[in-house]
Amino acid sequence: MMTASANETKHEPDSEIGGLTRREAVRAGVLMGVSVAAAGTAVSLHRRAAVTGDPIGEGTVRHLTVLANVPPTLNDDVLIRMQRELVKAMAKPVEQRRWIMVIDTRKCVGCHACTIACVAENHLPPGVVYRPVVTEEFGEFPNVQLRFTPRPCMQCDKPPCVPVCPVAATWKRPDGIVTIDYDKCIGCRYCLAACPYGARTSDFGEDYLAGAAEGAPTDGQGALRGAPAAWAEQPSHEYGKSWTREGHQSPMGNARKCHFCLHRLEVGQLPQCTTTCIGRATYFGDANDPDSLVTELITRNNVQTLLPHKGTQPRVFYIV
Amino acid sequence: MSRNATQRNPISRRGFLAGGALLGSTLLSDELFADERRGSGDSAILNSSRPDTPYELVQADHHIQSACLQCNTGCGIRCKLQNGIVTKIDGNPYSPWTMVPHLPFNTHVDDAAPVDGALCPKGQAGLQTAYDPYRLRKVLKRAGKRGENKWVSIPFEQATREICEGGNLFSGVPGEQNRQVEGLRSLVALRDAKVAKEMEADVKGILDEKDRTKKQALVEAFKVKHAQHLHLLIDPDHPDFGPKNNQIVCAWGRLKDGRGDFYKRFAAALGTTNAHGHTTVCQGSLYFTCKAISEQYAEGKFTGGQKFYWQADTENSRFILFVGANLFEANYGPPNRSVRLTENLVTGRTKIAVADPRFSKLASKAWKWLPLKPGSDAPVALAMIRWILEEKRFDAKFLATANKAAAAASGENSWCNATWLVVIKDGKPGKLLRAADLKIDGQPLRTAEKRPTADGKEYDEKFMVVMVNGVPTAVDPNDATTPVVADLFVDTTLADGTVVKSGLQVLLESAREHTTAEWAAMADVKESDIVAVARELTSYGKAVAVDIHRGPAQHTNGFYNVLCWMSLNMLLGNFDAKGGLIKASTYDTKGKGKGNLFDITAHPGAVKAFGISSIRHGLDYEKTTLFSGYPAKRNWYPLSSDIYEEIIPSIGDAYPYPVKCLFMYMGAPTYALPAGHTNIEVLCDVNKLPLFIASDILIGSTSMYADYIFPDLSFLERWEFQGSHPNIPNKVQPVRQPVIAPIPEECTVYGQAMPMSLEAMILAIAEQLSLPGFGENGFAEDRHLKHPDDLFLRGVANIAFGEKPDGSAAVADADDREVEIFMNARRHLPRSVFDAQRWRGIVGESMWRKVVYVLNRGGRYEEHEKGYKGDRVAHPYAALLNLYQEKTASTIHSGTGKNLSGVACYVPVCDFVGKEPDELRTGYGLALITHRVISQTKSRTIADPWLSALLPENGVLINPRDAERLALRNGQEVKVVSATNSTGNWPLGNGVEKPMIGRIVLTQTMRPGVVSFALGFGHWATGASDVTIDGHVIRGEKRRQAGIHANAAMWTDPVVKNTCMFDPVGGSVSFYDTHVRLEPVGGAGAKASALP
Repeated sequence: MMTASANETKHEPDSEIGGLTRREAVRAGVLMGVSVAAAGTAVSLHRRAAVTGDPIGEGTVRHLTVLANVPPTLNDDVLIRMQRELVKAMAKPVEQRRWIMVIDTRKCVGCHACTIACVAENHLPPGVVYRPVVTEEFGEFPNVQLRFTPRPCMQCDKPPCVPVCPVAATWKRPDGIVTIDYDKCIGCRYCLAACPYGARTSDFGEDYLAGAAEGAPTDGQGALRGAPAAWAEQPSHEYGKSWTREGHQSPMGNARKCHFCLHRLEVGQLPQCTTTCIGRATYFGDANDPDSLVTELITRNNVQTLLPHKGTQPRVFYIV
Repeated sequence: MSRNATQRNPISRRGFLAGGALLGSTLLSDELFADERRGSGDSAILNSSRPDTPYELVQADHHIQSACLQCNTGCGIRCKLQNGIVTKIDGNPYSPWTMVPHLPFNTHVDDAAPVDGALCPKGQAGLQTAYDPYRLRKVLKRAGKRGENKWVSIPFEQATREICEGGNLFSGVPGEQNRQVEGLRSLVALRDAKVAKEMEADVKGILDEKDRTKKQALVEAFKVKHAQHLHLLIDPDHPDFGPKNNQIVCAWGRLKDGRGDFYKRFAAALGTTNAHGHTTVCQGSLYFTCKAISEQYAEGKFTGGQKFYWQADTENSRFILFVGANLFEANYGPPNRSVRLTENLVTGRTKIAVADPRFSKLASKAWKWLPLKPGSDAPVALAMIRWILEEKRFDAKFLATANKAAAAASGENSWCNATWLVVIKDGKPGKLLRAADLKIDGQPLRTAEKRPTADGKEYDEKFMVVMVNGVPTAVDPNDATTPVVADLFVDTTLADGTVVKSGLQVLLESAREHTTAEWAAMADVKESDIVAVARELTSYGKAVAVDIHRGPAQHTNGFYNVLCWMSLNMLLGNFDAKGGLIKASTYDTKGKGKGNLFDITAHPGAVKAFGISSIRHGLDYEKTTLFSGYPAKRNWYPLSSDIYEEIIPSIGDAYPYPVKCLFMYMGAPTYALPAGHTNIEVLCDVNKLPLFIASDILIGSTSMYADYIFPDLSFLERWEFQGSHPNIPNKVQPVRQPVIAPIPEECTVYGQAMPMSLEAMILAIAEQLSLPGFGENGFAEDRHLKHPDDLFLRGVANIAFGEKPDGSAAVADADDREVEIFMNARRHLPRSVFDAQRWRGIVGESMWRKVVYVLNRGGRYEEHEKGYKGDRVAHPYAALLNLYQEKTASTIHSGTGKNLSGVACYVPVCDFVGKEPDELRTGYGLALITHRVISQTKSRTIADPWLSALLPENGVLINPRDAERLALRNGQEVKVVSATNSTGNWPLGNGVEKPMIGRIVLTQTMRPGVVSFALGFGHWATGASDVTIDGHVIRGEKRRQAGIHANAAMWTDPVVKNTCMFDPVGGSVSFYDTHVRLEPVGGAGAKASALP
């Protein structure tokens, strides 16, 4: 493994934020986080955004070859179009990308593919959901109707969850995604309470297979398999790092939320919820790209955000 | 492979290294990547103390493309592996199920790797099915009574030996101390191919003899002629029962090609005619009505109907009426059809209507919902048919094309017999008129011609008759050169006094039995809505369809419900049209007649099976020696097959004959069938069924009653050829292949190591009994069948080769990099599963890289745009459609003794003898239906905890109006009871019962008077209950018991008694006809089930 100092040296040129080195900035952030908790949220909303320790600049440019060898056609699946646009956005420094999500509720078929794709991709335990889909029924027979509303983190431009964190474990990245550093998070759940969308849940370290096949030999040699789930023992990839669910290690005990699958964006892949949407109701892309599908979609007149009066300025838009 | 790696953009270094886990540990890669990551550093995304790790799931070297089987949609899947473990399943972008258009087939695997297709939640949870802690590793043998769930694990070889040789096998079980079980060796009695062939021919003679006295004489003659071999028969007085071999029944639930070839080969080698599937529990009457529609006129008779059906070309239809279909949650639809519909709905290009007693998710996107009464499909369809005929909004040009040539001349691929003249006798339509039989001025309209048959004999072609401008005209249906365009509505008496009507006229009269208002009232749907939908259906040319599924089919009147809807489609003239009705098209796996490739159907030494099937299908009751008037003891099914609800109950009645050994593969009839408890009663009785062997991945709701359970491979460990569905326009063949290391233990058969599986069980029995067609030279000289791969890899080679004998339709060769990916992605598989050298040896050097090419893509998929030719589909049905069915009209209902109708008509819900079940309804005021939710597939997905999280328990859906009337409140527990199950309990055998209790769910989505529950819940096995194995108790998981499964409340047939009600024609089980009462459950303890 590389040492912290090697790391430091290597990244210094790319890490300057407003004249501070990355390290200073991070420190400032930590300190500020503490003072924020004391001083209240109003001031910090503005100031926090300017001082994240995220990598920016040329070093964040990704020249990906994804789809380069697949000739475009005039009638590509929107998944292909969006992935091409994603590759294009990744070729810009991170601070020039403006990730947004657009959800066309008219196309959502309420299948929960996104919910489970997210659970599987991010190894979410029982009780942790990044992408619920709310089903509502209204009307009276025979004039009845169903509505399905997927509800990921809104990645607010004014995120109420950020300033309440006493340890600055959560912040808004230059590309707009609200991040959590599980290794910093102390699991106080202030952020859960602050989010008007209920987008954050706590990881209590639960196990989907608790209570299954009790009494079966677990050495893998019995008549029944019995052994713990092989899939659950493998590490997950959130934030491009490795997370294994054992002991009480992070992310167990932490607050958790949607991060637009940053680790997939990094390699040129769409967020899981978008890629697996069987009704193609979820769109994802760079709002700074005037040619992108999402930019095209949010200019329509049937676009809304959730709870606009809260002033959170969501980056998730709904077509109704 | 035409393109080489250098023409492609090189993979980025980062990407390449991230994928090459072969390179070793993350430690090593961190060192190597230090330079690569300069700028983004150890913290490409998140600056933190934790180092970055590569995202290997994006790399082709960590992918195996396969086919899902969490339901039978069979979507292409991409299984992503971490350290040899599947941790994520996404859609395979090469598959038209998960991406539209899907990636071109020639896309390099490295280029496809970062592109994921869409997949439903069940598919994504599939890895939990595979890694379920309840999966079996060893063979289990019953150590208690059937269904007591007491087991011992035994060596594979012991199980095989015991099954084959029989004996005092259960001496330790109380009551069975002295029971001698007859083994397979004794049951495979007839092994002499020559004797079998002669007996078969003589039995055919007996069956074909119409005179009963002469028939009896033939039986006596048979006994004299075959005196030496009569001991090989089940009953010498009934030679048509066939040999004792028929007392072995091979049954299955979900069986796909490849495995199907294996299993049917096994049945053939055993010499039994009894290989029966599950079709009638799904949508049997949909299949078998379409089989009747697709019977072709050949050699003077109607034959060759296909067991298949049509669905709408979802992507291009302008208007679709979906009937009893909810393709957002089931019906071979979620990923593949939702994507083809939603955008078109939003843009207004497509409009849909939904007919369903329940407001489904599909209905939520519909322009109009027709909440019809369950079972009233025919009234709604006939109302539309009447309106369309009377308003002259049908496709007259299509209906008038009377033969193949006429179809070609008018730009059609298929033609319809709407204009052919039907002879009316005593006011009833019967046979189609033959030109050679119609005498005009003493001369036949057209003289019969001698024509050769396919097998080198001769027959008399007598031709059909149509009216052309009022003049009787002979028509040769298959004539491709002389078009005949005929009059549509004919109702006349011919010169010789014969009364005739055209088929279309007969249909019109059937539709005129009631006015549209009366029909609408019968279905309790607004007449104006029916007319509005009919108007839409006839407003967009051929880009329209009525797309139906289980809803219409699973009634006692299923066959005619389906025929009504399909006749409506014929009026629309939408067959084979882009946006109309289409059919499935697949690449051949069997290799029959492909020159030098592999014929995997070749079966040297097989003994021809003959005799009445144990479910009495494909044969008229009247032809058999069992005929004794009406009603027959149980129903006969001349027009259908795979009658699931008859397999076990017929064994219970020993009708037509007793069965000695039942194999059940991947079937759960006790759970899945309406009145499934009737099956349990039979299975628990060792006298009625002496030997019961199951192949299952765990102890399931039917395999728990077996004497032996052989562990099987899940869909992520095995081979299969998934085939296609009628809504996919492209020619395809998804291949299911081993993805993870097998959970079951290894065994050795024919000297080869292999995981225990269905195939291993079959091979081991074949080896023990020296059955023909297995082992050394099993397929042909030097073509052995000693390992499952011997069959499956040759099947893959056939797919890769294509259907041109010169090989010009073959796929490309995999390049070096693709071969490397192929090897890397399989490095975790044991040699008994994947051994490149062995595999290569099986398919041969010339096919090896082509096989790799196909397997790397999870099958073979034609390019999207090749699915169409202009406004027609590229793979049309292109054959005769029977609007009027002579064969059906000539068939007699074995319960009533009456001829069936040859045309679409309304038939009320009836029992076996044709009586409406009014008595069963009395006192039971709610109609019971079922539905599917996206998160469960009947019996197989409860293993997956992610899916339970979406809907932990189902309930009893009821309209608040009914609930108020019945004083029921939301969340209240109720028991479901009916006239044939007044206790509301599911008897599980051995005195154990599971009460059918569920919670009330109030919802306006239910039609008042109708209640529903979702299938897939309320389990008593499949990990839901405690089992004892080798003396250890293994606890069931409570989560799997949650909710209600009320199938045992569904009516048993009042006449046949030990099976559910059924469609006597199409064979479907009655899922939606029962009436029930909901009884509030008092006291908190009432839910406590009797389950251990």
